[in-house]
Amino acid sequence: MLHLEQVTKIFNKGKPNEVVAVRDVSLEIPRGSLSVLKGPSGSGKTSLLGLMGCMSRPTAGRIVVGERDVAKLPERFLTEVRRKTFGFIFQHFHLIAGISVLENVMLPLYPTQMPLGEIRRRAEGVVDDLGLSARKHFAVQGLSGGEQQRVAIGRALINDCEVVLADEPTAHLDTTLSEELIGILRRLHGEGKTVVIATHDPLVYDRAFVQQVIEMRDGRIVPA
Amino acid sequence: MTKYRIFLALIAVELATLLCLYGLGLFRFNRSAPEVVLLQEMAAELMLTDLAIWSEATYARHPSQADLFSPFQDYPSAIEHFPSGSILAPPFAERRGAHE
Amino acid sequence: MSKHLKILEFVLSSLLRRKFKNLGIVAVFSFVVFILASILFLTHAFKAESLAILEGAPELIVHKIAGGRHDLTALRYGDEIAGIPGVGRVLPRYWGYYYDVSTGANYTIMGATGSPRSTLQLVRGAFIEAGQRGVCVLGQGVAEARLTGLNGIVPIMGANGELYRFQVVGVFTDPSTLLTNDLMLIAPEDIREIFDIRPDMATDIVVQVFNPSEVANVAKKIKYRFPELRPITRTEILRTYETLFSWRSGLVILTFVGALVAFGILAWDKATGLSAEEKKEIGILKAIGWETSDILALKFWEGAVLSLVSFLTGLIAAYLHVFFFGASVFAPALKGWSVIFPEFRLRPTIDPYQIFVLIFLTVLPYIAATIVPSWKTAITDPDIVMRG
Repeated sequence: MLHLEQVTKIFNKGKPNEVVAVRDVSLEIPRGSLSVLKGPSGSGKTSLLGLMGCMSRPTAGRIVVGERDVAKLPERFLTEVRRKTFGFIFQHFHLIAGISVLENVMLPLYPTQMPLGEIRRRAEGVVDDLGLSARKHFAVQGLSGGEQQRVAIGRALINDCEVVLADEPTAHLDTTLSEELIGILRRLHGEGKTVVIATHDPLVYDRAFVQQVIEMRDGRIVPA
Repeated sequence: MTKYRIFLALIAVELATLLCLYGLGLFRFNRSAPEVVLLQEMAAELMLTDLAIWSEATYARHPSQADLFSPFQDYPSAIEHFPSGSILAPPFAERRGAHE
Repeated sequence: MSKHLKILEFVLSSLLRRKFKNLGIVAVFSFVVFILASILFLTHAFKAESLAILEGAPELIVHKIAGGRHDLTALRYGDEIAGIPGVGRVLPRYWGYYYDVSTGANYTIMGATGSPRSTLQLVRGAFIEAGQRGVCVLGQGVAEARLTGLNGIVPIMGANGELYRFQVVGVFTDPSTLLTNDLMLIAPEDIREIFDIRPDMATDIVVQVFNPSEVANVAKKIKYRFPELRPITRTEILRTYETLFSWRSGLVILTFVGALVAFGILAWDKATGLSAEEKKEIGILKAIGWETSDILALKFWEGAVLSLVSFLTGLIAAYLHVFFFGASVFAPALKGWSVIFPEFRLRPTIDPYQIFVLIFLTVLPYIAATIVPSWKTAITDPDIVMRG
């Protein structure tokens, strides 16, 4: 599903604050797998996840999503690939405060040709699925952390993505909520989605259901 | 109802109000046309040359006859008559070239 | 359904989050549009009105200049001017200003007589008959200032120090205020007496010219023959009135420059600094699949919603203000020192060009101020949001 070849990402290249976030990484994420990117903070997990999810382009190397080489794709197409293929779950949830649960979930589909009613129906389906129906008209900032994370998951799922990318999804959740979240991710995996989780939470990576653990340190992959 | 419908309805209502006002204005304008003809004829009959808007100074009352140094023509130390003085343009300069 | 409508939907939800701040912006913005539009409407209507009415003004007036000042004009000039080819009737005018101590108002007193057909339709009561003395026809402003009406008495102090009493036989009606508000018409004999005008003199002379294209020529000839006279043509009067109401020179604009500048600062402040929260939101939207162009559309609609609502609201308010409520907000400012000031009943005339100027001055800059600063954020890679 995802194929990375000698990918390097350098931020602020050529400036004094130059940072090499990802160095010469090659890896393969098979379709329908559940993989974990493991490593301490600052090891380059998030950057790598961003590269996989077409959030930014690598400074060097090749990234293939499906059959498409996206490393050199113009922004327009990159966005399209991102929208159609990936669903993101962020560490800080990154919901739009002040608007309702339902609207947050609907957001990714706004700039598409899909009619608003259809988007709403879909969003309601997703929200119901995540057990948030009672809260769908609430503004998101009033929700608990676990609920917010579920809204974020709902938003990632609305476009019926193939790949779910989760960045430290349990960082702000207690054990019970973390388990609940893991349950949801496993269910998605069970439905045939490819799941990649960046985390340093043993609750996530030390589990039998994880098919592939990729350990990172200082921007490189630590050989297993 | 979706918010954008409410918004578009609001814009439509405002546009319609404006159009109505404009139509009403046009109606009033046309209806008062005979009145203006009457005023024109009165200006001719009474030989009036200026509008009676500002009456505090002669140059404000009769800009058509104001002198080029008009702001001080009323009284040597007259203060400038504030609003009218700044709204009234000085007498048209061409007149100087034409006849004086 | 167009994706713009959905983006608009999100914009509205988004704006509603900061209800009071955005309502505040709409209120201030509407007010600015209201003021600007009121000024434009008012001056345009004034201009149109004066140009229309003064079409009837005399083609040519001649008066004497003595030492650079307006002087009484001898009637003999009239006889000689009548001899110039193309000149029709030559009539003396008697008029002057009168400061009324008791009301603190200036009147324009004018000699008039006969039965002018059209004027009669604008007068309640009667007009001054030929040879009738001691009577007057008052403009509404004068009548109101003196708290008098038909059959009332208006005392006037003559140049000789004597008090003359004039009985009010007629009062000008409402539609004529723009032309007659401060007028007091009395018999020519009376005005000669109270202003001490010698029998062979007049205030000025009105010259009728048969062919309109000859007016300038006649004026030139008069100026050439009598350097001490000053001819004033109607074209010049109309032109003066046209520049007079030119909106650029308006005091009211000056008065509200403060408001304009404040609004400009507001817009600029909004324009130059996207808040961290706004930047984050743009990042989130990009991360979940919005394109740069979608973000710019979002910002466009954000500016368009606020400015469109404000613009239309301001425009409606200004229209009502100027044409239905007689520009009552500006009246005190426009009035200045005038004790007698007409109540405007302006006829609604609107120049589409002005509307475009208004849009150009308000809506477009605001939308630009909303879009431009978000440009830089919109084109950056969304992965910055992940590290935030």
